[in-house]
Amino acid sequence: MKGMQSIPVIAFALAGLASGPALAAGDKPYQVADGNKVDKTTLEGWRTWRALACERCHGARQEGLVGPSLLESMRRLSKDEFKQAMMKGRPEKGMPNFDGSKMVTENLDGLYAYLKGRADGAIQPGRLEELK
Amino acid sequence: MVLRHASRLGILLGLAVLPGFAAANPEVIKLTQNSRNWAMQAGNMQNHRYSGLKQITAANVKDLRVAWTFSTGVLRGHEGGPLVIGDMLYIHSPFPNKVFAINLADQTIRWKYEPKQDPTVIPVMCCDTVNRGVAYADGKIFLQQADTNLVALDAKTGKEMWKVKNGDPKKGETNTNAPHIFKDKVITGISGGEFGVRGYLAAYDIKTGKLAWKAYSTGPDAEMLFDPQKTMTWTDGKMAPVGADSSLKSWQGDQWKIGGGTTWGWFSYDPKLNLVYYGSGNPSTWNPVQRPGDNKWSMTIFARDADTGMAKWVYQMTPHDEWDFDGVNEMILADGINVKGKPRNVVVHFDRNGFAYTLDRATGELLVAQKYDPTVNWATHVDMKTGRPQVVKQYSTRAQGADVNTKGICPAALGTKDQQPAAYNPANKLFYVPTNHVCMDYEPFKVEYSAGQPYVGATLSMYPAPGSHGGMGNFIVWDAGAGKIVKSKPEKFSVWSGALVTAGGIACYGTLEGYVKCVDANDISKELYKFKTPSGIIGNLNTWEFKGKQYIGVLSGIGGWAGIGLAAGLEKDTDGLGAVGGYRELSKYTELGGVLTVFSLP
Repeated sequence: MKGMQSIPVIAFALAGLASGPALAAGDKPYQVADGNKVDKTTLEGWRTWRALACERCHGARQEGLVGPSLLESMRRLSKDEFKQAMMKGRPEKGMPNFDGSKMVTENLDGLYAYLKGRADGAIQPGRLEELK
Repeated sequence: MVLRHASRLGILLGLAVLPGFAAANPEVIKLTQNSRNWAMQAGNMQNHRYSGLKQITAANVKDLRVAWTFSTGVLRGHEGGPLVIGDMLYIHSPFPNKVFAINLADQTIRWKYEPKQDPTVIPVMCCDTVNRGVAYADGKIFLQQADTNLVALDAKTGKEMWKVKNGDPKKGETNTNAPHIFKDKVITGISGGEFGVRGYLAAYDIKTGKLAWKAYSTGPDAEMLFDPQKTMTWTDGKMAPVGADSSLKSWQGDQWKIGGGTTWGWFSYDPKLNLVYYGSGNPSTWNPVQRPGDNKWSMTIFARDADTGMAKWVYQMTPHDEWDFDGVNEMILADGINVKGKPRNVVVHFDRNGFAYTLDRATGELLVAQKYDPTVNWATHVDMKTGRPQVVKQYSTRAQGADVNTKGICPAALGTKDQQPAAYNPANKLFYVPTNHVCMDYEPFKVEYSAGQPYVGATLSMYPAPGSHGGMGNFIVWDAGAGKIVKSKPEKFSVWSGALVTAGGIACYGTLEGYVKCVDANDISKELYKFKTPSGIIGNLNTWEFKGKQYIGVLSGIGGWAGIGLAAGLEKDTDGLGAVGGYRELSKYTELGGVLTVFSLP
């Protein structure tokens, strides 16, 4: 199951495209059922989001606070741009660099998948569980 | 008249013959005793936020008008307030921590200081870059920068005289607190309770910036400046020595090294006892399941010798915190407070946990501990013998456990009051307290520590106190001897602004919508004056006199914990999630932007 969902991610990353149009409908980086059951990678992404206290700047529903709304920016950012922002940060805007965080570096794909799922409206805000 | 004239001369002399004209302590005390000045952030070393000026009275305050305004040119939350010494006003901004020296005669900028700070400090301050103001002594203005640099500037020119690094932002250490001048030292704290910072108080020589002492909140006795036999605490109904390793015994393993207990509040000083008073913040992480024990000495009131830093006494208000009820709020020193028929010299503290504490400030004896908001529900009461809050299991996030959402806890993590300081009126011996009226749901979860990364470990939702007046704040009058609310005035939003009370019989405060309000100090339900400033107010109201006229000044500039929701994207419905859920309606009233507004009678 994990392999299935990660294929489009790899393809997407290799293609190095700036935005999502190349992704056919259904080629999502996450799997979700009932809005709150997600694949293991996405679940770890959500746990990373929670552990790094991202909601303190981006809001509990990613709607934006001091930091921008991720519901908006995840529709705009390519995966490479997302990774770049996560690793290097945007210090002048208050975005930390997370390249020193083991949890983030290990779960970057999952975090991307989770936030994509939120921006797509496919994943609900709040607590998630693993899709069995 | 003669006396007044003489003291004014003294000030002019003091400013003219710098530096080293007088020892700082007598100098600053003298400045604060002259009501024309507002020479410390709280007006005096006792943290009174009281002024003897009485030109503006309950009868004429309705005629107040704006005398002049000044933009700091900075967005984000503006806490603290202006200092006034003689003919100069000193005002600061949030990051990048600008300082302006303004000539009161014509409101021109005499000098401006803008430090160069590494912007990577901003995210470590997540989520707001507040600063609570500058301090004055010995011809110098002291600025505690966000990046932890403590700077002394020449009060006449703004020239840097010395600079020391107080902490390390790479470890999550930053500063938001105002420096405090007590005796010949500038005392500062540290922020970063959400990054696993190990809190401390540090004292630097005002002349040179040399570190005089540094006292940690947690760890070995020697590093906390504790004497196991002489440092006392309330034990079984009396004061007793804390004993050896009092902190180490209350943590599992090495957790005290990343244990929090940061120190970003308002400190006070008793010159006769030579004691400095301050509080320590939450233990790290916010997940109590991960850190068994009382987590001493987080959440503690400390009394320390100003010269050596040695702890005379300590009192832990919230052992093993489960709600983020930081103990950093201001320590107010009051004399002759009637406790059970006896006049006592006390320290009064309105804690985030919803209890107001009155302690004998010489001995540390616990005298009063009562709720100052009737909705407080996480504890039934404080047991006066043990000094411990009696926690209600339903609201214990430890008992409910990790990954469980414990609902309906009052107050919220913001506390019944956060840092916004109260005022004390020595004439009627009552306290004027800006408060929050907010409750929360709290779900702790497991987190790993990584230096410089957030170490929070709980998801929170906050909302107005249910079953009450629907607002998120109250302005109250408190009797610290009886432990009772004298009067409570409901407010739509948290009152996140430091109060002022004056000999003119008025009490004033700001609101998050942006109003400056002045009420009758004898009956706070009587709102006598109201003016809408350019932005929401989280700054403190200060007053001074210049050329025979009394002025009241306040920084507006929404932000801080309560105001962060005003930034981008908040039009989306948040259903009450997060600190800002309940505050999102603020966007109907105000926008960002720092402005000093100064009022006077026509």
